[in-house]
Amino acid sequence: MGILTGKHLPRRTFLRGMGATVALPFLEAMVPARKAFGATSATGAIGADRTRLVCIEMVHGAAGSTKWGSTQHLWSPAAEGRDFDLGPTALSSLEPFQKDLTIVSDTDLQNAEAFIPEEIGGDHFRSSAVFLTQSHPRQTESSDVLSGTSMDQLYAQRFGQDTPIPSMQLCIENVDQAGGCAYGYSCVYTDTISWKSPTEPLPMIRDPRLAFDMVFGAGGTAEERAARRRSSQSILDFVTGEVAELKGTLDAPDRRRVDRYLENIREIERRIQKVVERNMSGEMRELPQAPAGVPDSFDEHVKLMFDLQALALQADMTRVFSFKMGRDASSRVYPESGVDKGFHPASHHGDKEDNITDFFHINRYHVSLLPYFLEKLASIDEGGQTILDKTMVLYGSPMGDPNVHNHKRCPLFIVGGANGKLDGGLHLRAAPGTPMANVMLSLLQKLGFEEMVSFGDSTAPFSLSV
Amino acid sequence: MKFMAARLGAATFFVSLASSVAASPNESTEAAQALLEDTCLVCHNDTTLLGNMSLDAFNVSAAEQTQELAEKVIRKLRAGMMPPAGMPRPSEESLQALAVELETRLDQAASENPNPGRRTFQRLNRAEYSASIKALLDLDIDAGAYLPLDTKSANFDNIADVQLLSATLMEGYLRAAGEVSRLAVGDATASPRETTYKVTRWVSQIEQVEGAPYGTRGGTSVVHNFPANGEYRFRVSFHHETTGALHGSGRAALHTVDELEQIEISINGERKALLTIDRWMHTSDPDGMDLRTEPIFVESGPQRVSAAFINKVEGPLQDLMSPHDWSIASTSIADSYGFTSVPHLRDLAITGPYNPTGVSETPSRQRIFSCRPESPDGAFACAEAIVARLSARAYRRPLAGNNLAALMKLYEVGFENGGFEHGVRTALEGMLASPHFVFRFEEPSGTSPSDPSGPSGPSGDAYRVANVDLASRLSYFLWGTPPDEELMHAAREGRLSETNVLEQQAMRMLADPRSEALSTRFAAQWLRLSDLEKMHPNVRTYPDYHDQLKRSMYRETELFFDSLVREDRSVLELLSADYTFVDERLAKHYGIENVLGDEFRRVVYPTEDRHGILGHGSVLTLTSHASRTSPVLRGKWIMEVLLGSPPPPPPPNVPELEEAGDAEGGRLLSVREQMEKHRASPACNSCHRMIDPPGLALENFDATGAWRIKDRGVPVDVSGELYDGTPLTGPKDLREALLGRQTSFVRTFTENLMAYALGRRVEYYDMPSIRIIERAANENGQRMSSYILGVVTSPAFRMKSISFEAETEAAAEGLH
Repeated sequence: MGILTGKHLPRRTFLRGMGATVALPFLEAMVPARKAFGATSATGAIGADRTRLVCIEMVHGAAGSTKWGSTQHLWSPAAEGRDFDLGPTALSSLEPFQKDLTIVSDTDLQNAEAFIPEEIGGDHFRSSAVFLTQSHPRQTESSDVLSGTSMDQLYAQRFGQDTPIPSMQLCIENVDQAGGCAYGYSCVYTDTISWKSPTEPLPMIRDPRLAFDMVFGAGGTAEERAARRRSSQSILDFVTGEVAELKGTLDAPDRRRVDRYLENIREIERRIQKVVERNMSGEMRELPQAPAGVPDSFDEHVKLMFDLQALALQADMTRVFSFKMGRDASSRVYPESGVDKGFHPASHHGDKEDNITDFFHINRYHVSLLPYFLEKLASIDEGGQTILDKTMVLYGSPMGDPNVHNHKRCPLFIVGGANGKLDGGLHLRAAPGTPMANVMLSLLQKLGFEEMVSFGDSTAPFSLSV
Repeated sequence: MKFMAARLGAATFFVSLASSVAASPNESTEAAQALLEDTCLVCHNDTTLLGNMSLDAFNVSAAEQTQELAEKVIRKLRAGMMPPAGMPRPSEESLQALAVELETRLDQAASENPNPGRRTFQRLNRAEYSASIKALLDLDIDAGAYLPLDTKSANFDNIADVQLLSATLMEGYLRAAGEVSRLAVGDATASPRETTYKVTRWVSQIEQVEGAPYGTRGGTSVVHNFPANGEYRFRVSFHHETTGALHGSGRAALHTVDELEQIEISINGERKALLTIDRWMHTSDPDGMDLRTEPIFVESGPQRVSAAFINKVEGPLQDLMSPHDWSIASTSIADSYGFTSVPHLRDLAITGPYNPTGVSETPSRQRIFSCRPESPDGAFACAEAIVARLSARAYRRPLAGNNLAALMKLYEVGFENGGFEHGVRTALEGMLASPHFVFRFEEPSGTSPSDPSGPSGPSGDAYRVANVDLASRLSYFLWGTPPDEELMHAAREGRLSETNVLEQQAMRMLADPRSEALSTRFAAQWLRLSDLEKMHPNVRTYPDYHDQLKRSMYRETELFFDSLVREDRSVLELLSADYTFVDERLAKHYGIENVLGDEFRRVVYPTEDRHGILGHGSVLTLTSHASRTSPVLRGKWIMEVLLGSPPPPPPPNVPELEEAGDAEGGRLLSVREQMEKHRASPACNSCHRMIDPPGLALENFDATGAWRIKDRGVPVDVSGELYDGTPLTGPKDLREALLGRQTSFVRTFTENLMAYALGRRVEYYDMPSIRIIERAANENGQRMSSYILGVVTSPAFRMKSISFEAETEAAAEGLH
């Protein structure tokens, strides 16, 4: 790692003083290795076995999507079918999870390409809006943004309503929602991968504390949260009492509106009750102190976000996550990858083998963060099954070869037991020109949208077995 | 501040019509019917159904039986939009006579059978929530941090029937109650958390930011509520180019500043940290674009935090092009060769408290803790005094029934857990979560023990809004806040429902600075000023536009409207005023000389071009596109906002009017030339010949409202013909034509004022009331106070219909 050149020194010196104090508590110890929690959950929640869906996006495509890289099998393995070797690929870290892994190589995102001359060059500012929507975003810097409803949101809207939080959106990189980004695209296209409807991009949460508060309630410590929950209960009881007293004095239409309000209050009560139930199981009380804010390092930040997702899935607070691990045109350096180039500069590899290899190391590093999450999910036992058995984790990129900003042969794999809906242990290679939307259509069908016939620019379902 | 003692028609509400109705002979009715049949039926009949309207069965002598339709006819006639250009047009007098004939009939019918309308109860929107917290606890909060965006209807964010309820929304109010009560009382046990203040890329970072210390440039300045005395860390991060290098690092500048840039973190103007910016910092550095301070001790409560650059650039700059004022519209172009650019703050994050030591006295705590328990036994009594006082204010009514006891139960829960202050805070949280605070319930008068005004009003179908509820209606209308003590006092005594007391209170409140809310809340929404937030004029075409200029434009219109209210001027001055309010920045933009500094001041325009709001930068910018003006948007804005008659939406299969080549014969076409090219299509022409001319008359104002004589090298041509045939040759003609149609304008203003005041959309059955207000104001120089008091004393504001249909439905529901 040669990044610490002399020019950095004045700032480094300053930072060294801060380093120790800024370090944040890690939530690593949060999830106990094995817990007898399943019984409560299995009986307690409605539709407890609904598949959990986690959609992860990494930007900038992959070295394996380049011409040379594909011959070297830098993203996915050479062999197709059941017998393949992940060793030389960017997915090598997933070897322990190979039986739950479905790799789909060589699908395209035609909707991320430029349709008209004005859109040429704007790939970085358009791609993320295509990934989970498989729709072509309207080029605009104003508020009249338009893409499609993303698959995580389709799923949450139909199947995520049983949990206190229908879905959550998380990200790592700083967002800049104000104004345009470049090439006439609003920044929201770059900032989020989740679209509630074609006109409603959902903001993604970068601050782990905010996400933590959403899942477990406000409060820095377990005691404080418990105290706040108790006082919330009292407040809700109080509000319910106020409403009862009030109703007599209102006329009929207003009274009906108050009834709806009361239903809302009961719904909130139910949400809090769920958290309390989880707490009674004796495990969540061990939750450490909440994080204060955004940690310094990428590694730490990603792991913290994975901790949160595992915890939320474990507590059944939500079953749908979208997680944006990168932001287009970001020049972040990932020292852990062993490469000292920035992400964006490295992605413009100029078709030089050395450069492509460097970029490959970055891809491999990104994927290597996943086992941390998968292991956590695998360690949580719920009535004889692990959470990982019930979860579908999708990981991919809306770009192919970043050097030329194309959207062909894009990275995509699915990992996790997905409630037995996927065979796993498979490497499938799509015919040239197959839309990635075909795969997402099939996944949605498996997730419960049996009647769905198309998604985005899909042409047909994609068979996910051999 | 002098108010004309306005003569008010309200007391003589139902009587005032008699005279006009009496002068209605049969001939005028017959003439009106004949005109209608000769002129309107050509298009509006059962067969052609143009505009989806048929007047075949319409009978002028029985107009009141089809009031909704009649009001549509009146509206188009008053605006002069019917018959449309190109059709035979009877004399203006006969057209207006038809309108008068219809109005007379409808108004008489309404006086015999008034309908004050009804709406469901309102919920505090973001603006009202913040203002209510400020009034109650002397605490400035941003309600947007807790509550979702308000849904607008008919221009306004307070329309009751679109204020939907949902569990998520209610959770927002509950969370707000928890957080706000902690901020107000202080939270010595607060755990560290991060708050981020973003700086948009549209803010000029050359100028000093409001609130930041002198000698600084750019950055940001915020009032942050610190929950506890303790240590806080401040993190600043900077904008960077797409390559990852620091923006404004000076690499591309003609002249490189030798000194390193520094950013100062100050609290209440006092420097707490000075960070030096490494010119070579890069997003690929381990810490990216971030700089952090050491922990800094800060006392609890609201403190002004500024993160601003030490100003090292003074005087004129010799740039090749000067988007110097602008911020970084695009990080990919602003650091090009030939520009002087300097680092720009991207956000400021405050994290803490670490090692909290307690809480200090704050304005909120002083407001809350009016007593201290002298002994452990005295705690409950003291708390009860505090809770009783605060909750009566929070609920905007005297406490009733179980109100206080329920809150004191919460106090006791809190007291058990953490003592006196904790108990008070818990009760406060309850208060803020209570439906009595969050909603504005209106109980029928006489049903509430707190209202001594007796049983309902004159009609069996409607009841009078109770005194205390009337007080809230009045204060949220005029001030955007809960009622003050004087208003509540009048309500508690049951006197507010008396017309003279109501008028007197309204006049008192108008004279109070808080009535600025009529400008910042009502007028800003009516005139759609918030659309300015979405406007980002193209940096290359309009290099001098930036966020501060936008704010100045916004402020100009607010101050201008406020001056009309405060000086009780004629509403027509909205169109005709020869004065406005500018600061140096805006004066420069308008070409007005000798205005220096940030203070706004009243100036008289040197020329007639800019009179009234049609010359305001705000209106002209919010009706433009990013790189050019839009006569269509400007025309539409005038028809919709000022005249209340929006043009119909384009029919299906009509090509996008403004989408076609904008160059021809080797040069760019002016906006007017493009418009004319498009209007060659007959399908477009039928509507655009109405919409475009008012907009074209304003073509001398560019997309940011600056004066110009050429558009893309072609001299600006402002000539045209208004839809009623009036020739237009510029803004002055347009203003005069609109003033010639003042009934439309004044009525639209009154309708909007009424909708905002009532929290419901104005319906056809409200039009007679609006015309009564209009007539009374005409007698009184069309002064602002006439309209405001007219609305306040109208039956719609003071009464509420009983919903029979709904009652029956509810009764039916009760059966099963």
